[in-house]
Amino acid sequence: MDFHLTTEQRDIQEAASEFAKGKFDPDAALDYDLRQQFPLNIWKNACELGFIGIHFPEEYGGQELGLLENTLIAEAFCRQDSGIGMALALSDFGSEMIARNGNEDQKKKILPFIAHGEGIVTSAFLEEGYFLAPLATTAKISKDGCMINGMKSFVTLGSIADYIIVVCQTRLDTPHAQTVILLEREIDGIEVSSMGEKVGMRMIPVDQVAFTNVCVPAENIIGQEDTGYFQLQDFFNEMRIKTGAMGIGIAQGGLDKALEYSKKREQFGKPIASFDAVRNKLADMYIDVEMARLITYKAAWSFDKGKPDSRAILMSKMIASKAAYRNAYEAVQIHGGYGYMTEGHIEHFYRDAKVLDLFLEPGQIQRNMLADHITGKARER
Amino acid sequence: MGQNGYLCPWVEKEYGGAGLGLEFSFIITEEMAYAGVYGLMAGLHSDIVAPYIHTFGDKAQKKKWLPDCISGDIILAVAMTEPGAGSDLSSIRTTAVREGENYIINGEKVFISNGILSNLIVVACKTEIESRSPYKDISLICVEDGSPGFSRGRNLEKTGWHSQDTGELIFRDCQVPVSNLLGEEGEGFYYMMEKLQQERLVSAIMSQASAEAAFNMTLDSYKQRKGLHQSEIPIDANGIAEMATDIEIGRTFLNSLIYYHINGEDIIKKVSMAKWWTSDMANRVISQCMELYRDYGYLEDYKVGRFFRDVRAHPIYAGTNEIMKRIIGRKLGI
Repeated sequence: MDFHLTTEQRDIQEAASEFAKGKFDPDAALDYDLRQQFPLNIWKNACELGFIGIHFPEEYGGQELGLLENTLIAEAFCRQDSGIGMALALSDFGSEMIARNGNEDQKKKILPFIAHGEGIVTSAFLEEGYFLAPLATTAKISKDGCMINGMKSFVTLGSIADYIIVVCQTRLDTPHAQTVILLEREIDGIEVSSMGEKVGMRMIPVDQVAFTNVCVPAENIIGQEDTGYFQLQDFFNEMRIKTGAMGIGIAQGGLDKALEYSKKREQFGKPIASFDAVRNKLADMYIDVEMARLITYKAAWSFDKGKPDSRAILMSKMIASKAAYRNAYEAVQIHGGYGYMTEGHIEHFYRDAKVLDLFLEPGQIQRNMLADHITGKARER
Repeated sequence: MGQNGYLCPWVEKEYGGAGLGLEFSFIITEEMAYAGVYGLMAGLHSDIVAPYIHTFGDKAQKKKWLPDCISGDIILAVAMTEPGAGSDLSSIRTTAVREGENYIINGEKVFISNGILSNLIVVACKTEIESRSPYKDISLICVEDGSPGFSRGRNLEKTGWHSQDTGELIFRDCQVPVSNLLGEEGEGFYYMMEKLQQERLVSAIMSQASAEAAFNMTLDSYKQRKGLHQSEIPIDANGIAEMATDIEIGRTFLNSLIYYHINGEDIIKKVSMAKWWTSDMANRVISQCMELYRDYGYLEDYKVGRFFRDVRAHPIYAGTNEIMKRIIGRKLGI
């Protein structure tokens, strides 16, 4: 048992943290949030320095590293700024399906494209009603290729992505018979429309994507025909860990800001950090960050070892997203009136944190899943 | 609202009010909170600031201002908070120095609700700079729109309460007639303490009503989704029962406080408890309600997300929850 990061991991952590401190201008962050704009220049810069796709193999533009290293980066970015951090962490959303299940041509074409910052890739799986099996979006596969029809909701980055990885129902009589297909967003039959303003995560557009007789060759299928449901479940597992990483970052960022402010801000003749009410909060926040970090690193480590620990992965998302929410909540509280004002540079952490609770599946659904595991209702996968 | 008699309905008929009990005003505040409407902060105008004029103002001040407060021609604000004085009210630095028939006010106020739209502001100032007790040198002075030397700073961006303005006020040798002083010089701190009971009760009413509104909405949606498989529903009956219990406890406590308060009892300890508990509860319940709506709850088109942003202010304004606990501790003799 060894709880220490390797020298290389510490270097990555430090480099990501230096980059975030240098490039994430706090006022620019508020501006991106207000104008609902993706931080394109910062993202390109992050790609140039190798922070995106670090977990891809070297031959495809990555550094052959693991989810743990990717976690360290997402954590450092979200710690500095929740909005920019999430935008960068989710800029390769869905690429994992190509990295894990794609064929040689797909990997060669897409992974370096993402890692080098040439464009953005996203994936579309959710639909109105949240049924994941069967899906209402269908693909008819024949020797001429795939024809896709349907509608996806909550497609992150939909309007600015160059590629969309879509999960479609391919056999109507078998709920789990689904296929993952790679699409260029610009092709005929794809229509993207915004789902409107959001409470937080405002740098990332969230869109509805409609597919009308979209035709692509069969070579665009990622993985095997009819195995899409299980590919998606594996992708969810990776995303839960990434959500955990973003959660640690936001929780730690909230603590950093609360600590700095409470040592500086004086009331009743002394710094507010010397009052029990604030000290208790700081201690609880510290505990939350540490718990989130331990379980998320464990989850990422198990994944990198090739034996994903389903329970740790579920707990990582649950614990870290709650930690992010609670710490951002308390950081706002410690800042008082200033905390509720945008210029306090903390309230957007609070609005942003809440999405982690909702993302993929809310806490109660994960509780159900975890209960299934521990009561023996679910098989370990 | 003024035209329909919804502002300050508790003021006597001789000043243009409806002469009703405070409970009518609380009903209006509650209905606005149910609807999620923060514009004008009617509860602040009617039940928090107007009472300063009503209780501490003299006959002439009441005759001059109250009718316009009732008609809506005057929008009220109260300015206590400063950049360096938040929870610690006694440390305010804005000064009012008497010169002949005027006070000359200098200083800055921040986070003032209705700060931009208001045209009559009750300002907490130090009238004696070197007094022996920081509690005995604060006075409340009414500053009218257009007073020389009074200007407004920015309308601040914030998490929620978007239909309501939160402003900065700037006083540079601001001249106000001595006749604008409310009550006695040097009594301001005690006046504020006296009125904070009602302010905190109003705050608790808003928190409770917000939690109830969000919960009822969520319960309706839950029932509509009942046909779904359990794994698709992000809240279970267990969670709903817990929220309903929280809300019932809050409502029962709050109703008892409204009764005591209207009867004129000193319930500072209990009101402080209600202010912190209901605002924490509202945030807890609404955050959980949001999860039922899943990603939709995060969209501005869905009301639950707006409740989520709006109620985050409640544990902060009208005295932070940490200050409430300090007051409770004092009242318990610790």
